[in-house]
Amino acid sequence: MAVVVSTEALLAEAALHSGAGTVRVAVAADTIDGVRPRLVATPTSQKGLAATLAWATAERLQVLVRGGGTKLTWGAPVGRVDVLLSTTALASVVKHRHGDLTATVEAGATLAQVNAVLAAHRQWLPLDGPWPEQATVGGIIATNDSGPRRYRHGAPRDLIIGVTLARSDGQLAKAGGIVVKNVAGYDLSRLLTGSFGCLGVIVSATFKLAPVAPASRTVVVDVESLDALFPLIDQLQGSGLTPSALELEFPPARLLVRFESVEDAVVQQADEAVRLASAWGCARAAAGDAERDLWTRHARLWEESATLVKLSTLPTELLPTLTRLENLAVASELRVAVAGRAGLGVVVVKLEGAVEAQARCITALRAGLPIGRGSAVISRGAPDLRQRIDPWGPIGDGFRVMQAVKQRFDPNRTINPGRGPGGL
Amino acid sequence: MDPKFLAELERVVGAGGIVRNDAELLTYESDGLAKLRSKPGVAVLPRSVVEVQRVLRLCHATGVPFVARGQGTGLSGGAMPHPDGVLIVMTRMNRILEIDIPNQRITVEPGVMNLEVTNAVSSDGYYYAPDPSSQVICSIGGNFAENSGGAHCLKYGFTVHHVLGVEVVLADGELIHVGGQALDAPGLDLLGVLVGSEGTLAVATKVTLRLLRKPAAVKTLLAAFDSTEAAGEAVSGIIGAGIIPAAVEMMDRTIIEAAEAAVHPNFPDAEAILLVELDGAEAEVTSLFTSVEQVCRQADAREIQVARTDEQRARFWKGRKAAFAAMGRVSPNYYVQDGVIPRTKLPEVLARIRALEVESGLKIGNVFHAGDGNLHPLVCYDDRIEGQASLAQRVASEILTFCLDVGGSITGEHGVGADKADQMPKMFTDVDLDTMQLVRCAFDPNHLCNPGKVFPTPRLCGEVPGPYREHPAERAGLAERF
Repeated sequence: MAVVVSTEALLAEAALHSGAGTVRVAVAADTIDGVRPRLVATPTSQKGLAATLAWATAERLQVLVRGGGTKLTWGAPVGRVDVLLSTTALASVVKHRHGDLTATVEAGATLAQVNAVLAAHRQWLPLDGPWPEQATVGGIIATNDSGPRRYRHGAPRDLIIGVTLARSDGQLAKAGGIVVKNVAGYDLSRLLTGSFGCLGVIVSATFKLAPVAPASRTVVVDVESLDALFPLIDQLQGSGLTPSALELEFPPARLLVRFESVEDAVVQQADEAVRLASAWGCARAAAGDAERDLWTRHARLWEESATLVKLSTLPTELLPTLTRLENLAVASELRVAVAGRAGLGVVVVKLEGAVEAQARCITALRAGLPIGRGSAVISRGAPDLRQRIDPWGPIGDGFRVMQAVKQRFDPNRTINPGRGPGGL
Repeated sequence: MDPKFLAELERVVGAGGIVRNDAELLTYESDGLAKLRSKPGVAVLPRSVVEVQRVLRLCHATGVPFVARGQGTGLSGGAMPHPDGVLIVMTRMNRILEIDIPNQRITVEPGVMNLEVTNAVSSDGYYYAPDPSSQVICSIGGNFAENSGGAHCLKYGFTVHHVLGVEVVLADGELIHVGGQALDAPGLDLLGVLVGSEGTLAVATKVTLRLLRKPAAVKTLLAAFDSTEAAGEAVSGIIGAGIIPAAVEMMDRTIIEAAEAAVHPNFPDAEAILLVELDGAEAEVTSLFTSVEQVCRQADAREIQVARTDEQRARFWKGRKAAFAAMGRVSPNYYVQDGVIPRTKLPEVLARIRALEVESGLKIGNVFHAGDGNLHPLVCYDDRIEGQASLAQRVASEILTFCLDVGGSITGEHGVGADKADQMPKMFTDVDLDTMQLVRCAFDPNHLCNPGKVFPTPRLCGEVPGPYREHPAERAGLAERF
């Protein structure tokens, strides 16, 4: 337990490490999952951030790291928070090496800020998860969150090439580098990606980028039922077409197939996709504002406050799993909606209804997903749901190594304790 | 080695699975980096994961180090044996376990060759993307350990982007499963750190890989230039136009001549050749290919050949992939370097390499993955001439310094291994290296798994974390815990 008792004393001490004027006492608006932190520190330098961690570790304090605050209610509910450590004052695009298609950015920069800078050279960090205006690069890495165009570009773990992290003992360490191809040393960038911040605080990262495609079309296919969608997905994937996204929506059952390339190529591919899809349902190609609206609508799942579960299966097992989910939902009187990467077997499931029923439904869903062949992780849900059942589900026999890694990186359990996968 | 230990090993792998004879052990004393040699204490050739587990348990119980090895094609001494340790040769674990075309996955044992994976699914229209030049003879286990790349990683990424799941045996003999058939298995991304850990964290016994659909269209061109600078400009121009080709390879005159002599690809006479391949949907490839041709012309390409047939494309690639071997015709010995630079620094670094060539008197051939800035300078020397081998070594090391000066890396795909461990402090601080070794301590606190590789100095892992155990000093009443 912390030795320092009064919040005032804690505040004075924190400022010595984080930097003058960067620490304040938390207010009601800082509350997360019903937990009000004691202090909020917003260091303005990487060194200040690292020093804050070193101090917190030495004092046995618990730190919760916050970027844009869009995903703090993902995963396990937060426990005691002595210091809410904000990365938002470390928000610069350090360097855009456009000729090399790479950029180094600080963790507190939002995705939208970063992409606004990269757009000057018609490039982007090809991640399109929810809330780009608020979600920071650090948080996106920590949750390995991505969006529809993961189908082409991959998730953050596929794009990150270097990282600087602040360790729990206050040391700043880096791994990887600024070149896209590099196998010198262990790949800590990937280890940190998806760690929910439990190993160290990401202070900056380097990514490989993508050129912004000059043209885009989205083919919308409306079908009677999910059953009709999956043969079409198979056919599209075996067709030689190269969509950048292949997304399903349900209900009603709809497929969105996006093509991004030069104008000729997107027109030709969209035509071909419409032709293939017409055998299965009503298909049309959209461009411009109509296309943009489609994708805005597609992301609306995130705008509501319902429970969201990330469901991952083998692509061929997605349909039977979703059918099972529908049956479970009917039995438990839950409303279900689904959107996501049909081509990859990763979707987001929205659940609405009694918490008890949600817990039963998720547990039953997990029972049909053997480790390694699928998972159902609660991304977001009411604290009592996340308290009632483990948000992560079973992790498997690798967990003991994960525990050992956490123990090595953060032996005092200072940083995001309990927030890491499996409660690390 | 201890005869009792050897007898135990033999009981595990059988008389046919153990090599103890000094002469036979010589086969295994080096990998593809022949200048680093060390005869293993003993070699075993397990046939199953259970045998691997039992071997590692024996090592764990007795504190004997071990090194896993695949085909031994690595170029950094990563599979160089430990003189007092066990060399675990994985070549007998070479079965393809499951092919799942609908899900585009394949599960193999580590001894399966890289090209065998593609061959197994080719008739279904699929392939395995990472394609190191040695793909005919290198195994998936080694690719996994080294995070192998190849010519097509500019667009498709490296081994780490194509491994979905792995079964590994830890240094204490325990088996764990990381990742899986499905994406996004919950947990820390141990897979991301295991790939490319050069066999220092665990021994892979089963690997699930992602397969890609063969592209609908592939177009390849070969452009000849009067200077490497002009070729470098063309590379920048292509990327600057927002085009990500499947591959962009460059060869300089020395390499062109060597390749020509060895496999007769009929390359034009030039100072530099660029090999550019585009793939994807038909309309896209056609449109972008025209842009690539334009960029090459603008960069003063003196000749452009377009592969009209698959045979012609194969001929282009044969010339490129044979480059290393072909150098054997030009020089009795050569040292392959594997530095990486930001692509835009190509002209600057090539100029420095050329100056070094003149200064050292050693011929340096340059063949590289130009798209991602991965240089493979081949420093030619003659071992029979006294001092040339060490001069070559110094020259190669100097080239790495050039790479680091411009923000690059000491290795893009060959790994650090035993060869470059002493170069790591040029790229990373003590804290960086210490932090990486926290991972090592979590996996293998006793440093039995391929010790002496990657890191110049091992980190002391201290007390093994876990449930509280009374320290001997506490037990003796000499100390107490606060």
